[in-house]
Amino acid sequence: MDILQVENLTKKFGLYKAVNNITFSLKEGEILGILGPNGAGKTTTIQMLLGVLTPTSGEISYFGKSLHQHKEEILEQVNFSSTYTKLPDNLTVLENLTFISYLYDIKNRKERITKLVDLFNLSNLMHLQGSDLSAGQMTRLNLAKAFINYPKVLLLDEPTASLDPDVADFIRKFLLEEQKKFQVSIIITSHNMAEVEEVCDRVIFIDQGRIIANDTPEGLAKTIDTSHVELLVKDGLKRTVEFCHEKGMEYEIKGRYIVIDTKEEDIPVLLYGLMEKGVYYDEIAIEKPTLEDYFLQVVKQKHEGSSD
Amino acid sequence: MFIMKHSLNRWSDMIYWPILDLLIWGLTIKYVTAFSSEPQKMIASFIVGMLLWTFVWRAQYEVSVSILEDLWSRNLINLFVSPLTFWEFISAFIIIGILKAGVGFVIASSVAFVLYKVNMFVLGFYLVPFVVLLFMTGWLVGFFVGGLILRYGTKVEQFAWSMVYLISPFSAIYYPLSILPNWAQIVAKFIPTSYIFEGSREVIEKGILDPKKILYCFILNCIYMVLAIFFMRKSFDKILQKGLVKVY
Repeated sequence: MDILQVENLTKKFGLYKAVNNITFSLKEGEILGILGPNGAGKTTTIQMLLGVLTPTSGEISYFGKSLHQHKEEILEQVNFSSTYTKLPDNLTVLENLTFISYLYDIKNRKERITKLVDLFNLSNLMHLQGSDLSAGQMTRLNLAKAFINYPKVLLLDEPTASLDPDVADFIRKFLLEEQKKFQVSIIITSHNMAEVEEVCDRVIFIDQGRIIANDTPEGLAKTIDTSHVELLVKDGLKRTVEFCHEKGMEYEIKGRYIVIDTKEEDIPVLLYGLMEKGVYYDEIAIEKPTLEDYFLQVVKQKHEGSSD
Repeated sequence: MFIMKHSLNRWSDMIYWPILDLLIWGLTIKYVTAFSSEPQKMIASFIVGMLLWTFVWRAQYEVSVSILEDLWSRNLINLFVSPLTFWEFISAFIIIGILKAGVGFVIASSVAFVLYKVNMFVLGFYLVPFVVLLFMTGWLVGFFVGGLILRYGTKVEQFAWSMVYLISPFSAIYYPLSILPNWAQIVAKFIPTSYIFEGSREVIEKGILDPKKILYCFILNCIYMVLAIFFMRKSFDKILQKGLVKVY
């Protein structure tokens, strides 16, 4: 069942089209990643989904109801967190969560706040003001705020940016747990491709305001046919480089390692060719294409396009 | 000098406040020297005027500075991604304004009684419509300033403190309207608060009040209130066109 439906959504700022006629949906319990280079239209899309930016045209509906016509009813079941917004600096963690809780129809306020404070490891910060929190602590507070109303749909803009790796890992696991337990539908934007691959069921890729791909992270990665072959060359690095030049393969030397980009079906040709040239290597690692490769390819194509 | 170019605050510090002080206190002194036969009544009208003005100021301040504080703390986005409506947002400021003004009034009027033997209740039941109408004027100025702040951001934050004082010379808080030059008396006819302060002096001096003053003030307040709310709502719609996150 589609919990969110976006149809022909467009946002113009003057003549500039920040979002250009995009259509997508979000299923119940699905985690959808919105990816794209800077300025692609991700944040603009999120803002329109939250009702804090009026679309130029198009329709957004949650739970089968128009956001425009049923805004308050819908926002009761939606929440948001972003690294780029913050809660008031002059309120304590507890005051911030209490004040936010009063914006929603929550029955067990105290219990909910206590649970979230524990979950996001904010218990010892309860009486600290926002101005005394580190960026990571503020991000955790923002996330606790986002879960306060038991949201059915959660919009997260770069939720783990500025967090330590262990905390970011905890957040990802927490999101997956919430999805499983409560069928929370989540839209997430992130520049961390590994994170998107880990948590997202599906990804839409936006570039210049348009959706250019809509697939699973694996599906998008598969559209790239270049694998990375990493070798620790013991003898014959020069000959390896020569071979790459001959075959037109791209490579990068990283200390004692060389990373060669080649199509998956050409890997045997590469290995056989190196053997013929008498190259000896100690270690070999073959990395299949990832979402990051897809992202980099789109950005590369964009730059090539703009320089033509 | 470069800062001056971009800062309304600096210009208002340099020009607005000195001129305003000069106008108000100059006119007040003129009144004192011309009508000093009944000093006790004059003191009463000063103190009462001062206390009544706090209602206008507090009502305006609470609306516009609260919006400004949400803007400074980048809290607007948190508020408007919640089910909070625009009208609930505004109502909260109004309620807080009434509470704060109430507390402030009780304290200030007690101090006025103890120090100057001026009893605010000399106005009798007229105090009720006076306070309600002064609140209305304060709110409408607050809504107008709130609209400006939403539209232009912190560039115009100085209006949050200064805008209401723009009507003070024409409100005749400390002196009667007759002290003002003719052109200013015409302007004062369009300022709702002028009817209240003039009326309060009438009550203190003669113990009666022309009910037309209440009526005119109410009509003007209603007209300006509709315009101010319309302007603020339009400003809010405008920031929704630009995007709250983008603007703040």
